[in-house]
Amino acid sequence: MLKVIAACGSGMGSSQIIKMKLEKVFKKLGIDASIYHTNVGDAKSQAANYDVVVCSESLIGTFTNASAKGITVIGLKNLLSEKEIEEKVTEQIVNKQ
Amino acid sequence: MDFLMVVWEFFQNNVLTKPQFFVGFIVFVGYLLLQKPLYEAVAGFIKAVVGYMILMVASGGLVGNFRPVLVGLKDRFDLSAAVIDPYFGQAAAQASVESVGRSFSMMMLVLLIAFSFNLLLVLFRRYTKIRTLFITGHVMVQQSSTALWLVLFCFPQLQDAGVVVMLGILLGTYWSVASNLTVEPCQKLTEGGGFATGHQQMFGIWFVSKIAGKIGDKKKSIESLKLPGFLSIFNENVVATGILMLFFFGAIITILGPDMMHKIDKSFAKEQNFVFYIVEKSFNFSVYLTILQLGVRMFVSELTESFQGISNKILPGSMPAVDCAATYGFGHPNAVTIGFLFGALGQFTAIIGLLVFQSPILIISGFVPLFFDNATFAVFANRLGGIKAAVIITYFSGMIQVLGGGFAAYFFMTGKFGGWHGNFDWDTIWPTIGVIMNYGQYVGVAAVVICLLAIPQILYRQNKDTYFLIAEDYDKYLEVKGEEA
Repeated sequence: MLKVIAACGSGMGSSQIIKMKLEKVFKKLGIDASIYHTNVGDAKSQAANYDVVVCSESLIGTFTNASAKGITVIGLKNLLSEKEIEEKVTEQIVNKQ
Repeated sequence: MDFLMVVWEFFQNNVLTKPQFFVGFIVFVGYLLLQKPLYEAVAGFIKAVVGYMILMVASGGLVGNFRPVLVGLKDRFDLSAAVIDPYFGQAAAQASVESVGRSFSMMMLVLLIAFSFNLLLVLFRRYTKIRTLFITGHVMVQQSSTALWLVLFCFPQLQDAGVVVMLGILLGTYWSVASNLTVEPCQKLTEGGGFATGHQQMFGIWFVSKIAGKIGDKKKSIESLKLPGFLSIFNENVVATGILMLFFFGAIITILGPDMMHKIDKSFAKEQNFVFYIVEKSFNFSVYLTILQLGVRMFVSELTESFQGISNKILPGSMPAVDCAATYGFGHPNAVTIGFLFGALGQFTAIIGLLVFQSPILIISGFVPLFFDNATFAVFANRLGGIKAAVIITYFSGMIQVLGGGFAAYFFMTGKFGGWHGNFDWDTIWPTIGVIMNYGQYVGVAAVVICLLAIPQILYRQNKDTYFLIAEDYDKYLEVKGEEA
C-alpha cells in the first residue's frame, strides 16, 4: 500500500481538502493508498516514513531533504483540481512504478 | 410517554450537554446515514470523542498557562490581556460560556443548524443568489464557539433552544453571504479554480479586491523581491508561536518581575532561573496549541468525512468555500511572507499605540490571524495592485486586527480568559454585529440577517448575465466577458 502524507500550514483546512481529493483520484486510478494529513512541521519530521508527500506548491521548499532521500514530493497549484492531481499523480507515481 | 421522557433525559444529561459525546453522536449518525458499516461508524465515534476530549485538555491548559500572567497584570497594572487568535479565542469563549453556567455542547448544535441553513440557501440559489457552501470544519467550530458566547453575552436570559436557533440562522447567513462574496475575487485570482474562500476574513478579501487596484500598480509585483531565507521558519506554527510568545510573554513577565511571579505562580520553583521560567512558560503555549490542533484535526476529520455524502449531493453546480490557504498556490510565495511581515508590523504598531494611550486591555499577537489573514490579503493585493498594495493593505490590516480585537475582547469580556478570536472579520464585522445585538436585541438580529441576505441580491443585480456563470463555467464566462468588451 502506498503511504501518503498530505500537508498544509495549519494541518487542518487545506490538508484535509488535499486528502479528500487524493482519495477520489486514487480510487479512480485504482491505487491502494493510506493518507495521513497534518501540518508541514509534523510532515517534515515524518516524511521518511512515507512514500509520497502532497502539499501546496508554495510549501514544497520544506521538503527538499525528503525529495533528496527519494520521497516523491508533489506540489499542487490548485488543491481542489482533481484534474491537476490526476495529472501529477499519473506522472510522478503511476509512470514511475 | 414516561419511557420517552426517561430516554430523552438520559440523552440530554449524557450526550446533548456533553460536547465530546455530542460530536461523537453526530459523527456516528452521519456515518450510518452514509450507509457505512457499523464498525466504521464506531471507529468514527471514538475518534471524534477522543479528539474532542484532547481539545478540552489543551483548552484548559492554554487558559491555565495564561492565568498567572493575567492575574499579575490585573494586580499590578489593572490590565486585562487577550491573545488574538482563534484557538485562544475558542478556549476563552468556552471558558466564558461555562462561567455563566451554560453547556458548551450548544456550539455543536449551532454548527449543525448553521450548516443546514447554508445548505438550504444554496439549494434555493436561484432565489437566494447564494452560490457557495462553507465547508472548512475547524473554522466552523471556532466561529460557532465565539458567536455562541456573543449571543449568550447579549441575551443572558434566553433559553438554550432559542439561542441555538437564532445563532444558527445568523451564523449560517454569515457563512453563506460572506463566502459568496469571495467568488469573484477567487475565480479571478485562480483563473477559474472553482472554489471560494470559507475562512475568517471573507469580507476583508472582498474589500481588498475592491481597493487594491486603486492603491498600487499591479505591474510592480512582488516577484522581483529577494527575501532572506530565515523567514521560512515562520511557515511552521509551532516555531512561529514559540517565538511570538517568547517575545510578548518575555516582555510582560520581565516587567512583572520574578517576585510577583513567584507569589502568583506556584509552579515557579524558587531555584529556577527567571529566564528559563520565561522560556518554559512561553513554549508551553506552543505545547497546548499543538495538542489543541491535534484534537481539532481528529474530530473535525471525522465530522467532515461523515458529512461528505450530504455535501457531495448538494455540491454539483455550487462552489465549495474552503480554507484561505488554497489561494496561496496562485500567488507568489513572497506574497505570503510579505503579508505576514507587514501584518506583524501593523499589529505591533497598534499594540504599542494601545499601551501608550493606556488602554485597559493589552493585546498579544496570535499566529493564525497574523499569518493567515494577512498572507491571504497580500496574495490578492499583490495580484491586483502590486507590492505597494500588498504592503499598505496588510500593515493597516494588522492595526485593525489589534484595535478591533482589543475592543471586542474588552467589550465582550473574553479578555478575562485571555483570548479573542482575532481574525479579520471577527475584529470588524462581528464586533459590529455583537454591538447591534446587544443594544438592538431581537430587532437587531433580524436587521443584521436581512442586511446580510440583501448583499448577494445586490451583487446579482450588478452582474445579471454572468453571476451564476462565473461559478458554474469559467471558460464560458470569459467568452461572454470578451464579447461584452
